[in-house]
Amino acid sequence: MSDTIMIDVLTLDSLQCAACTYMMESIAALPKQIQDVICYREWSIKTQAGVDKFVEMKGRVLPTIAIQGDLIFESMIPQYEELIDAMAQRAPTEELGAVIRDLRDTGFDFDEIETNLAKARSD
Amino acid sequence: MGKQDVIDAVRGLPTERVPWVPYCGVHSAFLIGEPADTYLQDPDAIVRGVLHAAERYEADGIPLIFDLSVEAISMGCPHRWWPDNPPSITGHPLAKQSLNDSGIKVPGPDDGRWPVVIAAGKKVRDALPDVALYGILCGPLTLASHLRGVQLFTDVYKNPELASEIISFAGQVAGESARIYAEEIGCDVIAITDPVASQIRPSTFQELVAPASQPAIEAARNAGKVSSFFICGDATKVLHEVADIGTDGFAIDEQLNLSFVRDVALYHGVGFAGNIKLTLALSLGLLSPREDAIACLGAGGSKGFILAPGCDMPYNVPPEHVDQVLQAMEWHRANYAPYPHQMETNKEKR
Repeated sequence: MSDTIMIDVLTLDSLQCAACTYMMESIAALPKQIQDVICYREWSIKTQAGVDKFVEMKGRVLPTIAIQGDLIFESMIPQYEELIDAMAQRAPTEELGAVIRDLRDTGFDFDEIETNLAKARSD
Repeated sequence: MGKQDVIDAVRGLPTERVPWVPYCGVHSAFLIGEPADTYLQDPDAIVRGVLHAAERYEADGIPLIFDLSVEAISMGCPHRWWPDNPPSITGHPLAKQSLNDSGIKVPGPDDGRWPVVIAAGKKVRDALPDVALYGILCGPLTLASHLRGVQLFTDVYKNPELASEIISFAGQVAGESARIYAEEIGCDVIAITDPVASQIRPSTFQELVAPASQPAIEAARNAGKVSSFFICGDATKVLHEVADIGTDGFAIDEQLNLSFVRDVALYHGVGFAGNIKLTLALSLGLLSPREDAIACLGAGGSKGFILAPGCDMPYNVPPEHVDQVLQAMEWHRANYAPYPHQMETNKEKR
């Protein structure tokens, strides 16, 4: 998995809670080149699995975006560039970090949000 | 029921007994065996659901609906209905075009979903004269997010004029929503509900959210109704700004320390509501709902405090968990020392 960045989003429920909705959307709206190198999942605390994940990650607040296991954006919806920088800093290889940094000026892409969100909720 | 207690508490005044407001949104649909999607599009179902929930949970106040997509859908935002949640917004009309080019207007009472909400609201109002009816409207930052998408949170810093234009417009929409709830339906409490407002810096809250909230606050005031600002998430960093926004009170979710919240509310002289844990207690029962409610009642006191869940109750909360809250209130009244203002009241009586 060294060519993938793991992102966990701890939420109440992104369908019910607007703050959680836009935390999830900040990941789902990343451009396709980044979608290809990230693996992300929503963990709703309305489920036992979500509670377990929250405890495992030592979560403190909802919603939170964790990148490579680090709690980075806690109750703070990130700007695009903040997300790019946080992912690049934690990329498992220098090459992957460079790829991500090259997309710093690309900006969000809203065309595939529904498809991307469905994948994040699929398991 | 304690309608006047609710109104007094929203305004930060002491109450003889702490009022209780269960935020039954789509949970009211669950209680009458209806899926959320059909329920929210059927005025008669909404009436049945709200009346049932108010009686079942002995509510002093209750929302008409708890659905922050009403305004966005009424302005044409793409959306998806769910059987166990309010609708979700799936597309953002201002993601690639300006407000001016979009032609989007402030939706009025005849537009979009409003006729259903108003029809239901008038019937509920007539049927529940002694229960405080909450009009829950979508706050300006959340509505602006629905219109623009998550890009809005980057715009705030990189394109502040555009962000300001959209948030300000959303504030005008919120003002009309407040007018509809207050004047046309007759709601007692106008709740400006802006969950994403906790996800920004305090300076952004002051510069953009506070000004955009004023039309709704003014509409409530003009109608002689009280207003409250509902915020979700960890709002600790913006709580003083929330308390100072101009509403009569505010409401917070389960992630805040209620003793801190009480101190902030008392400092600003406004009411506050919260914050029984939605998930761990009410939904999952991993914590005792009874004990959690008692902890809230102990911290909240009875000056300007409303006991309420931390946010909109999920669809399928087990009703027996909510029953435990009622038991907690009864136990607390019988066994817990009164808040100091009660002592002053008694002294005056003597």
